[in-house]
Formats: sequence, C-alpha cells, structure tokens
Amino acid sequence: MSDGSLRLSVNGREVVLDGVPSDERLLDTLRWRLGLRGTKEGCRTGGCGACTVLVDRQSTLSCLALAHELAGRSVTTIEGIDVDPLGRTVRSAFERTGALQCGYCTPGFVMALTGLLAERERASSFDELLEDLGGNLCRCTGYAAIVRAAALARQERP
Amino acid sequence: MAPFALVTPATPEEAIARLREGPGEEVAVLAGGTDLLFDIEAQRTRPRTVLSLRRLPWRTLEWSGATLTVGSTLPLRSLENDPDVRLRLPGLYHAVRAVGSVALRHRATLGGNLGRAAPASDLVPMLLALDAEVDLVGPEGERTVSVDRFIEGSRKTARGPAELIRSVRFPEARPSAYLWQRVRPFHDISHLAVAVALSPTDGRWRVAIAGFPPRPVRLPPAEAELDAPYPTDASLARAAALLARNAPIVADRRASEEYRRQLVRPLFVRAVRAAVPSPRAP
Repeated sequence: MSDGSLRLSVNGREVVLDGVPSDERLLDTLRWRLGLRGTKEGCRTGGCGACTVLVDRQSTLSCLALAHELAGRSVTTIEGIDVDPLGRTVRSAFERTGALQCGYCTPGFVMALTGLLAERERASSFDELLEDLGGNLCRCTGYAAIVRAAALARQERP
Repeated sequence: MAPFALVTPATPEEAIARLREGPGEEVAVLAGGTDLLFDIEAQRTRPRTVLSLRRLPWRTLEWSGATLTVGSTLPLRSLENDPDVRLRLPGLYHAVRAVGSVALRHRATLGGNLGRAAPASDLVPMLLALDAEVDLVGPEGERTVSVDRFIEGSRKTARGPAELIRSVRFPEARPSAYLWQRVRPFHDISHLAVAVALSPTDGRWRVAIAGFPPRPVRLPPAEAELDAPYPTDASLARAAALLARNAPIVADRRASEEYRRQLVRPLFVRAVRAAVPSPRAP
C-alpha cells in the first residue's frame, strides 16, 4: 500500500518518490531508494543514534520516522553536511581530533552535534551539550576524542 | 510485515470521523511515532490503519497566568526548551529530559506518551504530582479527565475509540523535582523514579513513584506525612519509611522488588530537598 508520491528536500535537492510504502522508515528511503548509505542502521529501535539525520535542522532518528510523515520537509544527511557552514565546522572538528575509530557511529554523532549547536544558545553549558549527546552510542567507546571534537566545534561555531 | 493505510486528516473533526469508522483496535493513532513504530516493527501491534495527527493544529504551548496548556502533538523538545517550563515547573523539565534522547524528543510528544500509557513512562508520574488534566475531543464533544483517571493500567487508558487527546493542562506552577535510577543515564528506562511537587494553593505535597508495572502511582499516605512547605527531617524520614514499606512496588525483569524498595528512600529524600522552594523566594 503506497500513499501516492512523496516529496522531500534531501541535502538541498527536491526529490519526488513514487511507490514508497506507507510503513517505510526514512532510514530505508535514504539508504535504499536514494543511495545515501552514510546514514547508518544501528539498533533500528531508537536506542543508538547511528541513524540520526537533520529534519529542518533538528536531529531526528530516521529509524523511527515514517518517510511519508516528513513530506515537504527538508532532510540533511552526512552526505550534505558541508552545505551547512555549521555542519562543515562539526565535520572538520571530528577530523582534526581524530574522533572516530570504526566510524559506524560517526555520521550520527556529526548530525546530532550539528543539530544541537544549531538549536542551542551559545550560553548553554558544555555539560548540558554532552548530556544532550547522550543518545548517541559509540560501541568502540571512543568517547574521549568525541568529547574533544564537541568542545572544538562548540568553540569554533560560526 | 503488512503495510498499513496511512491517513492524515487535516482537521480534528475529520480525524474523529475517521476513527468512528473504526474498528478501534485496528486503527492506531500516530503522534510522534517513537513508541508506536517501535511496537509495529516488533510486530507487537499490527494496525490496518495508522491515523497521523501531524496536520492537526495541536503543536501548541500556552501560558495563561500560572496555568500551562500543552497541545498533544507538541514535540517534547519544544516543551523542554520553553524557559518558563524550566523555571516554573522544574520537575516537568527534568521528567521530559528523562525521555529518550534529543533526537527522539524532537518527534515524541506529551499526547503520545499519555495515549500509549507505557508502564514505565517518565512523564506520567510527574503529571500525577502536578495534577495535570487531559483534554479529550470525540464524537460527543469535549471532556477533561485527570491524568490519574486517564491512565487505567499498563497500556490502558480512558480514551474512547473515537477520541483524541487534544491537550494537557497543568493548573499551576509548582516547586517540583523528578529523580530516577537506571543503568544508563540517557535513553534508558527508569528502574525507579520519584516525582514530587508542592502546591502553592493548598500548601500540600504530591508524591508519585514509577518504573514498575502496572502504572505510576500517587502515594497519599506519604504526602500526608510531609510538612509543608518546608519538611522537617523527621517528617521526611517518616514519609520515606512509609514509602519504602507500603508503596505498591513489585519486581519485573528489570529490577527486583527489594532493590526498588531500597532505592525509593534516597531518591525520595533527594527529590523533596531538590524541590523545596527557597525561603527567600517571593
């Protein structure tokens, strides 16, 4: 059962998709219809943050969002991170601090941190920023470098 | 998994009319979807129709004097980002932050949390302590019920098959606190949680505990032991002992009854101390 065609803006490009089933998750639309494999499937139950993307610049778990529910909204994935100056800053902070080991959680972390820095006032504390990153898991436990990346990105935020 | 029909009514009337066509169990109401989609994925529920509330004008937050009304489809993150919520209903702020992660709270809603009535909800205990009320709309018009009456048990509510939660109302600003214990601090289910609030109107404390089945509960005997507004150490100790002894705490697969009875005392004492209004406050 499909719900007619689905219009989304993905990384600044308008896309129109036909035949998307009503129960398809945004995660699967991105990975399998649009070939944007940078967004990772982790737990698929909202517990790990690996599938985090931005919807209208707010972090969203793409495994727990129906694609059709986001009709007309603007989605940013890791592939489109450089379009946003803030996203570029965060991506660069992860690179310069070496904040990745296997890399599977990295796109989710980059999107989540970009969303947080876009949302929060500069005044919000670093502790709160780290608390707010608590929904992203790194199974390599490489958190120390991720914390350094968050500090650097927060400091350099445009 | 058999896909469902996704319907997105543009008005509350249209939504209620669609729900009346029923049949009730085969139509699932979708607000943020963070809990419902999880259950659909696990095949715990197999709705034939999913009715999405996304086009309804209920993504609202309104203060009228000391009364706060929250539209049922407002994302929890918007509730938490309202500076007055943090200031005037601090317990609610902390309870909201106990739900999932930021990315989850950008979609999860207060109405969805109530409507889904998860036994370990982090919001329901705080709503009980704040005497929150649920505004329902349905074929017969509108009605308002207390959260205590609305939540009937694990995954059971007083919502009729053609009714929708329109909003949730908090009657007054209250000194309040919400504390929990869990394995992981973020994005986990509380083993035990304590919500406390002090009503400036009647000068009494409200105490609710949660984290075990079938549902979060108020504890009037413990409330009665607490001196207001500033509980003495003795009254705090009496109330804590009463809670540990008499609260309807049970074991489930996440924690034993003994562990939870041990936890309730320190969490409760800390929650009351955190909530007590500053003597110098106006």
